[in-house]
Amino acid sequence: MKYETVIGLEVHVELATESKIFCSCSAKFGAEQNDHVCPACCGMPGMLPIVNKRVVDLGMTAGMMLNCDINRTTTFDKKSYYYPDLPGSYQTTQWFAPICVNGKVKINTSKGEKFVRIKQIHMEEDAGKLVHDDWTDTSLVDYNRTSVPLIEIVSQPDLSSAEEVLAYLERLRDLLRFAKVSDCRFEQGSMRCDVNLSIRPEGSDKLGVRTEMKNMNSLSAIERAIDYEVARHIDALENHTEELVQETRRWDDVKGKSYSMRTKETAGDYRYFPDPNVMPVVIDDEWFDSIRASLPEFPEVKKAKYTEELGLSEYDADQLTQSRAYCDCFEAALAESGMAKESANWIISDCAKALNRRQETADMLKINGKALGQLIKLVSEDKVGRANAKKILDAMFEEDIDPLAYAEKNGFIVSNDTGAIEAIVKAVVEADPKSVADFKGGKEKALMALFGKCMKELKGNCNPQVLREILIDQINKA
Amino acid sequence: MTKEILLRLESENQLALDDTQRDEIIAFMDAQGVEFAKLDAIDTENTERMVHVMPILTVVREDVMIKNFTRDELQAGAPETMDGYWQVPRLVE
Amino acid sequence: MNLYIDKKDSAAAKNVVVDDMILTKDLTTTAGSKMLEGYKSLFAAEVADKLEGAGYTVTGKANVGELAIDLAGETSYFGATELEGKLTNAASVIVKNEDVCGAVVFEVNGANMRSAALCDLILVKPTYGTVSRFGTIPGACSGDTVCVMAKTTGAAHELLDAVAGYDCKDGTMHADEKCALLKSGAEFAPVKKVAVANSLCDTADPAKVEAFKTFLAKAGVEAVEVDADILTSASAAWTALMCAELCNNVSRYDGVKYGYRTKNYKNIDELYTNSRTEAFGMLLKTAILYGSDALSTGNYEKVYDKGLRVRRVISEYFASLFAEYDAVLMPVTSKDEYTMADIEADRYISFKENRFTSPAMITGLPAVVVGGVQLVGKAFSENALLDLAEKFEKEGK
Repeated sequence: MKYETVIGLEVHVELATESKIFCSCSAKFGAEQNDHVCPACCGMPGMLPIVNKRVVDLGMTAGMMLNCDINRTTTFDKKSYYYPDLPGSYQTTQWFAPICVNGKVKINTSKGEKFVRIKQIHMEEDAGKLVHDDWTDTSLVDYNRTSVPLIEIVSQPDLSSAEEVLAYLERLRDLLRFAKVSDCRFEQGSMRCDVNLSIRPEGSDKLGVRTEMKNMNSLSAIERAIDYEVARHIDALENHTEELVQETRRWDDVKGKSYSMRTKETAGDYRYFPDPNVMPVVIDDEWFDSIRASLPEFPEVKKAKYTEELGLSEYDADQLTQSRAYCDCFEAALAESGMAKESANWIISDCAKALNRRQETADMLKINGKALGQLIKLVSEDKVGRANAKKILDAMFEEDIDPLAYAEKNGFIVSNDTGAIEAIVKAVVEADPKSVADFKGGKEKALMALFGKCMKELKGNCNPQVLREILIDQINKA
Repeated sequence: MTKEILLRLESENQLALDDTQRDEIIAFMDAQGVEFAKLDAIDTENTERMVHVMPILTVVREDVMIKNFTRDELQAGAPETMDGYWQVPRLVE
Repeated sequence: MNLYIDKKDSAAAKNVVVDDMILTKDLTTTAGSKMLEGYKSLFAAEVADKLEGAGYTVTGKANVGELAIDLAGETSYFGATELEGKLTNAASVIVKNEDVCGAVVFEVNGANMRSAALCDLILVKPTYGTVSRFGTIPGACSGDTVCVMAKTTGAAHELLDAVAGYDCKDGTMHADEKCALLKSGAEFAPVKKVAVANSLCDTADPAKVEAFKTFLAKAGVEAVEVDADILTSASAAWTALMCAELCNNVSRYDGVKYGYRTKNYKNIDELYTNSRTEAFGMLLKTAILYGSDALSTGNYEKVYDKGLRVRRVISEYFASLFAEYDAVLMPVTSKDEYTMADIEADRYISFKENRFTSPAMITGLPAVVVGGVQLVGKAFSENALLDLAEKFEKEGK
């Protein structure tokens, strides 16, 4: 028999805010354990939740990027269960009136184009983290992540293969990064995914037994887990190796197997009820419109513009539109310099290398695009040499500088004083008669050595064409 | 109220009663259930639920980070900690 | 008898006590529970700061029943409190007997209103959202209210002036100009017409209500008896909502982060269950289980959601009364005194006696306890209610 796979995803995305959703603690990743905590995020009595407006902004932004309807009155609810990573023994989430409903996302796979429907997006707080200590045989609790704002994006069961799941997740990631909703980093847990999966005979309209795999945090693991589960389900149906039950399973990526999670946590009644401490959030037209106006163009719209209107190559346009930060920087540099190809090159090549050295991702490009445009102009107008321009770019990664002022201060301005250049070249030529003789003997490489020495003496502040002419002139005179 | 349901409620709320206490609570819940059932006489078919008693809407704050407390202060009253973590019996992993 | 959970000496002129549901930094806060024995908060309640800001010195923490849901303090882990053999909460005994300006107390289920009535004190339960709940031990947040208790209406109003006002740390507050409506000196329309809630009077000793009606007649205030049958449903509705919210609010006390931890555990579930089972009293346990049941799948619509709808019905009923009347007169207790024998006869008496206090608790409307009765008014009508209470104080006795 032929089977088809039915998959729905619940994707958790941590929002890019400074502070947590209900208290003012830092929401940043990577602090020492329990450094980003206050009485509220360790469950002490007396603090009251105050909603971070930015969370609602980003929730709305996500919904608009994913073609959702926005609930103009949205409310928060409490969900109860006991677990040490949940300090209040309840999570504040949205159960009755989530911020976004009824969206859709277009994906492309080898089978072509397809829409995946979004059931809802709700805002909620993250839980803390547990570390297990083998020496003392205890678990250790870190509340830094407690109350970090999340959105949960719940899809309809519209996906039918690992390929589609990956295409959907990549599309979500691109859109949400582009709209600066989240950095969507699986490896840091800022994007996580629960996979709901069932199998049914092809053409059947009845859903099979569904299993859920929670907290998947890498695309390749998700792919392997789906392939494993599909095979396990089919095996169970065909060969009766086991009876499928609706349950939560844990994926062990090392062993390449999924395991049943028979814990109390999965069995309980969450007893949702509206949070009396959080008033309904009403999104008026002004608020709604300001978010709508702040939305970026979709990456593919930008790409078409870059290739069709600005004449960039497909490759360059793809490179730029992988990151909203790249696009913003590119567009600012272009506005200042008027040079599309040059602006693109500086970002794709020089900025990318600098980011790489700093172990930062494309989304973390923070240099001032207008200043980059000024730098590009200085180079094209022969006011700064290329090698020095790269040094200026490095400085721009450290702080927001004026490239011209920086070039002047550091002696990076190209000299037009041919007399001074001649004097330096003459000294270099006189000090290296061997290279001069080699060149005259037909060794072209010797000229490059002399050229390099001259450029070094000139600190790079010379038009290469001018230097070359003066150098040949001096060699001939020697 | 039955003992079976009560046992589930105890488990969900991390409480353990003895049978005398259970009998007492079952009797209370049955009596309170009768009291509550009297509310069925009130027609609330077209009444909206009232979570908040006062008409206050949209209380939000700006996204500003503030640090007011140190880890040591927060863990001063903790039953058990280790290396700046709260410590609990090992959870199955 | 443990009137105080914690106290300090003060040579100041204006001393107050706050009850032990209100967090203080230098004094311990226990909510009357073994769970929080010796608990020191890292921060103080907004009302404690506001009191200090207004020149008061908080000299002590008045003992309360566990999580303040009982009749009058009888469930405190630190012992019940009495005045001349009669059960009443610690704040009322302190205000009655000691040289303090009054007490700031936290109302969840009427224990303070009852205690004030039993001790013939003034209590103001202000409009929900006019006094910050920041730094209070959460009981049932949709109704929890910080109240003031004093010997005289004047002293009570002074305390109210000190504690009322907007606080950005509580997300359920009215703007400052609304909070200002209940302060001394704000304009108000005096009470001219009072509705007497017959349905509640029917199950209480009539003496105090009758005495108040006599005063009203003398003072030229019209009193009209109304059936007010719907108000009898407030008790069951508030008990369900309160227990459900309380169940959730006390789930934070689990022996992990602070507070009591059992010595008897091998795994996390035993740590949770034994800590909570050993530290909580029977009334609180019952409330947790009843509240949990009200929220459970299958019961939510029937119980919790129904309670929320009945709350609106009651609110709308009050609104219809206030179209015609300026205040509603009701009893606060069914009799003049309670003793431990009443509790031994029925541990759950507070979920029945709350029939008088639940109408104001479930709606968040202001109430003033005076002469052992209460006047419930429309939102922000504290000035008018206190004005009438003051006249009673002068002329009624």
